Amino acid sequence: MADDDAELVALIDNELDENRRTALLARLAADERLRQRYEELRQTSAPLAACLDALLTRAPLARLRATLPAEGPQRRQSRRFSGITLRDLAASMIGILAAGAAAWVALSLGLLRERQDWRTAVVEYANLYTNETFSPLNPDASLQAIELSALGARVGVNLTPESVALPGLRFTVAFMLSYNGAPLGVVAYVDPSGEPVLLCIIANDAPDAPMRSERRDNLSLAWWSRGGRSRLVIGHIPEERAVALAQTLEKRI
Amino acid sequence: MRAGLEPSLARLWRYALVLSKARDAADDLVQATCLRAIERADQYVPGTRVDRWLFAILRSIWLNEIRSRRIREGGGFVDAADALTTDGEREIEMNITAATMLRAIDRLPEAQRETVLLVYGEGYSYAEAAAALGVPIGTIMSRLAAGRAALAKLK
Repeated sequence: MADDDAELVALIDNELDENRRTALLARLAADERLRQRYEELRQTSAPLAACLDALLTRAPLARLRATLPAEGPQRRQSRRFSGITLRDLAASMIGILAAGAAAWVALSLGLLRERQDWRTAVVEYANLYTNETFSPLNPDASLQAIELSALGARVGVNLTPESVALPGLRFTVAFMLSYNGAPLGVVAYVDPSGEPVLLCIIANDAPDAPMRSERRDNLSLAWWSRGGRSRLVIGHIPEERAVALAQTLEKRI
Repeated sequence: MRAGLEPSLARLWRYALVLSKARDAADDLVQATCLRAIERADQYVPGTRVDRWLFAILRSIWLNEIRSRRIREGGGFVDAADALTTDGEREIEMNITAATMLRAIDRLPEAQRETVLLVYGEGYSYAEAAAALGVPIGTIMSRLAAGRAALAKLK
């Protein structure tokens, strides 16, 4: 069990080399018990990340700043970045159950595809979400504020429950990823049927750009860039709806 | 360097708290780390990540000075139950799931807590975590698996 757990966790974290990954996927396809264990381990990802983020908010920053030593010689500061890598997005999903072994393997292998840009990467993973992925999450207002504050600090955008509230959608979770080293924050909503809609914010230093929209893989995307951050609204919703949601957010964030 | 320290303060403190499980020790550890970083600013390699450099300093101070001193003094370093979750004011801001998860992390052995934090809180790859902690990648894998297995039992 311990050896299997280590392999399964490494699969979740996308840390297996291709041979071991392929071998484990084959075992998973044939072993329902192993698949169940995979799900058990994978379901710890999002609450674990949220919990570690919440711990950040407890730091006594005022006291720590006050005890900082006096100014020393100025040196070059590297770009600060932290967070879970984009590859961990699969590990951040909650509650999804494999519909079947074949489908599961096909989806997993899809993670290996080359990603041309960050929206393409988001599209790939957004396609894995179902109406069971986020709907069990129902954080109270204070936890929403904590999660959004932590995420906003990482991507450099002020986020509050009010500023990200969207009509007809319920906030479920906010979590951090990265794409090629750029912090990528995700706010996940669900509609009354549990259908996920994501707001993604990436600090990619992109030039300002007006809103555009498109359809990809039955998903609607609406995105725009301002202040070195690109925002994207994506979901299995009509394109007009994605644009309307994006326009609502554009006025606030 | 002082300006370079400030953006990392909260994350340094979180690392220190996860290691020490004590707020006073975490405060001291961050302060000592900042002081050491300024003293040894010439050792920082431009173009590399300041935060990773600071984390390495913090860990070194923890292992070689504070942790060992606490053990020598006897009883100062203990895996106190729920040490990460004793902030009542903050506690009520967390939902039950997050608080339960934090208590479970709190009960992990130090090596697992540290590895979980670096990989899942700080985004270290397995190879980066192995290098930072001076252990083989297989050890990182087993620590993360044991950590996740313990957390999975909460379901």
